[in-house]
Amino acid sequence: MDFDLEELAAIIELLDKADFRHFSFEKGDLRITVSRDGNVPQQPRAATPAAPAQAAPSQRVVADQAPDDDEVVITAPLLGTFYRSPKPGEPPYVEIGDKVAPDTVLCIVEVMKLMNSVPAGVSGEVTKIFAADGELVEYGSPLFAIRTIA
Amino acid sequence: MTTRPARQRVFVANRGEIALRVVEACDRLGFETVLGVSSADRDTLAARRAGRVVVLGGPHAIGSYLSIPAVLHAAVATGCTAVHPGYGFLAERPDFARECAAHGLTFVGPSPEALTTLGDKLKARELAESLGVPVSAGGYASTVAEAAGLAARVGYPVLIKAAHGGGGRGMKLVTSDAELAEAWAPASAEAEAAFGDGTVFLERYVTDAKHVEVQILGDRHGNRIHLGERECSVQYRYQKLVEEAPCAALPEATRERLHDSALRIARALDYVGLGTVEFLYDLHRDELNFLEVNPRIQVEHPVTEAVTGVDLVREQLLAALGEPLSVRQEEVRITGHAIEARITAQDPHQRLRPSPGTVKRWRPPVGGGLRFDSHVYEGYEFPPFYDALMGKLVAWSHDRAAAATRLDDALAGFEIGGVTTSRDLLRSIIRHGDFRIGSVTTHWLNDRFGELIGDGNE
Repeated sequence: MDFDLEELAAIIELLDKADFRHFSFEKGDLRITVSRDGNVPQQPRAATPAAPAQAAPSQRVVADQAPDDDEVVITAPLLGTFYRSPKPGEPPYVEIGDKVAPDTVLCIVEVMKLMNSVPAGVSGEVTKIFAADGELVEYGSPLFAIRTIA
Repeated sequence: MTTRPARQRVFVANRGEIALRVVEACDRLGFETVLGVSSADRDTLAARRAGRVVVLGGPHAIGSYLSIPAVLHAAVATGCTAVHPGYGFLAERPDFARECAAHGLTFVGPSPEALTTLGDKLKARELAESLGVPVSAGGYASTVAEAAGLAARVGYPVLIKAAHGGGGRGMKLVTSDAELAEAWAPASAEAEAAFGDGTVFLERYVTDAKHVEVQILGDRHGNRIHLGERECSVQYRYQKLVEEAPCAALPEATRERLHDSALRIARALDYVGLGTVEFLYDLHRDELNFLEVNPRIQVEHPVTEAVTGVDLVREQLLAALGEPLSVRQEEVRITGHAIEARITAQDPHQRLRPSPGTVKRWRPPVGGGLRFDSHVYEGYEFPPFYDALMGKLVAWSHDRAAAATRLDDALAGFEIGGVTTSRDLLRSIIRHGDFRIGSVTTHWLNDRFGELIGDGNE
């Protein structure tokens, strides 16, 4: 396995700046797993899209739990960059534990400088955040889990 | 010799068999690939083979394969250096080519200027005319009266064509002044609605014509070559079903004129990459008429690869990245004959209506002189959202008759279950006496359709 040390250094530098708990990286037979809270993360489960069989340089940061039965998963309505706050440095739209209404904005998905706000669509409480700020999210990628209020 | 960076990562902005073809060409060049798919295409063979797959949008092409922002964003965010647009979708869009360049991505195709000129069929016709390339009698008219005058000079039947149509779209055949008067305004309105430009023009309709086309290839160093011609006369509603290389019906002098005409157009456009210059060949008059240029890889490119031995997608990728062509004109040799049959999920007994579904059995033939390009496998759910092409079976042999026999035998041994396909219709075409003697013209399949599917009532 030829692994580029420069590439590894670049990844470590990026990780240092990123807000994450678990990070795993796969390329060929190489696999790097980094965890900030001391737990070895589990493989993403049902809610995440099927990973390509042979992953090229890619990064995926996800919450470590699959949604429960009373949770609704909010997915990306389009491909783009995921932003948790309206502008850099501003507080996020929502945090885990926040109560949301259907029209509450959860995040922004930016596509070629066009900002698309993503509303919750349901009433409830934000229980999980699957994507990391600044990450590329694909169409259909899970973004948030919301425990709905009956 | 080379200025290209050692590492290339190519974004494949297409689907189906051509996406797989591009991924494999990149693999052989040592280039990484990222494939953009719709959510309905996560399970295609190309998605399994690509280095990375990103979901661009939902099943409908408008939100995925046709979305310039989604494709650009995905290509930039995944660190790609080039974009291969395949055919269809964004392949001929000058605005997309420009956006790629603006974001530091090499667009694998000709310049935006060439795409703009060729996208306007009237401009392309004028360019051809200015270069001494033969075009059908006709031209532009701005009013019905002008159009009628023009039609009187060229003689009915005439075709009304949309300037921004192409590939058979936006065309109307009229046979009299009355029909012309009736069709003129709606043709323009339809062109406006379909292509955003209501410009239409007239051309004499060649009744008995073969469709012939020349493969051109250029690089960024001023080299431009042709790789011979293909014949694609077996068409149903302008959709090609069987293609071959070379065209056996052309006299040698006409063939030279054909190749020379194509090269003149390539030179005038300083053409980079692959292109196909299409002509109609009037059998009775031994006359060529320029149709249009397709500025992209063509579905039927494997027949040219089979008789020249040149990997067209490899040349296209390298040319886009600034490498000189690996073949010179004098090195291009046509060896033997190749015929391609397009296997589609279409029901011949329902006038080729699409017939998507689960492919329960899929056993393509293997053997000497055969090639099969396909993204389908046993168990694949053939989606209803896109074109019906399932695969392209190509047979090569030392001469045309042997290639036709080989293709027919191969089709006979192709086991397909679960989905209704065009396979049996393709066999009837290839076995037909008219096809064997090479007399098929572009309206032949429409005329003989009922006979070919064994339905006396058609």
